[in-house]
Amino acid sequence: MTIENGCELPDELYYFVERSQMTWVRVDGGEVRIGLTDPAQTRAGKILHVRVKAAGTARERGKPIATVESGKWAGPVIAPVSGEVVEANVAVEQDPGLLNTDPYGKGWIVRMRPTHPEEVAQLLHGPAALAKFREILQRDNIRCMRCQG
Amino acid sequence: MATTEPAVRPPDNAGKKILMIMTTGPEDPDKTYAPFYTAALMAAMEIDTTMYFLMHAPELLVKGRADSLPLKKGGNLRMFIDMALENGVKFLACSESCRDLCDIPEGALLDGVKLVGSATLADLALEADSVISF
Repeated sequence: MTIENGCELPDELYYFVERSQMTWVRVDGGEVRIGLTDPAQTRAGKILHVRVKAAGTARERGKPIATVESGKWAGPVIAPVSGEVVEANVAVEQDPGLLNTDPYGKGWIVRMRPTHPEEVAQLLHGPAALAKFREILQRDNIRCMRCQG
Repeated sequence: MATTEPAVRPPDNAGKKILMIMTTGPEDPDKTYAPFYTAALMAAMEIDTTMYFLMHAPELLVKGRADSLPLKKGGNLRMFIDMALENGVKFLACSESCRDLCDIPEGALLDGVKLVGSATLADLALEADSVISF
């Protein structure tokens, strides 16, 4: 686990960082699990609503797999890889605050089965990911904190 | 692992069209951000979202104007406009309003705003699945 500006960035994860997107991807056998990173949940603020695409939905890389609303930010969560939604995390739809309090755990958003597994290797990982996050955290003056209650 | 979908999922409205008609301008800042926020969300839901600005609303789109428009909730309007544009909302401004009511000179509007006539409003309203007015 690397901690930068108070933001937790687990070393084993892959990251999709483009435009407003800062999501993580955890490889789990033939599937991936996707969620918002600590910097992303911090920048969004207290998350009020989450809506996730239903299981069975096919998504190309770059298309939305969910929408997130925080009152100061409303936008899509973009599929970092192409694939089919296997499971939408109903828990975050019922308790959106999980994205703030446990972004890498109970706050995961969706499980997907990639149709082009090679796309995972094209995501940021390790030192390259850390360098990119350092740049963004500094540029946007992001200091992470876990939003409770 | 079993899939645990809720009994009733909200409908997926991707691909539908919404037209949002915006008539509020800088005279009432706190009425301006919610339309941009809502439009940004709709676009994120893959709804084809267009905002049509008429009367004094085009003044919100003059370069620099939204940056100096404080909101009661904090921040300024520019972040909500940028969010809508980034999510793919289309911005159309009524050319007659810009010229005759708002005195907006050519080239003064934000990049990404297209000037159109009133006939376009009729076309958009008839083509949309729903029309929302602010």
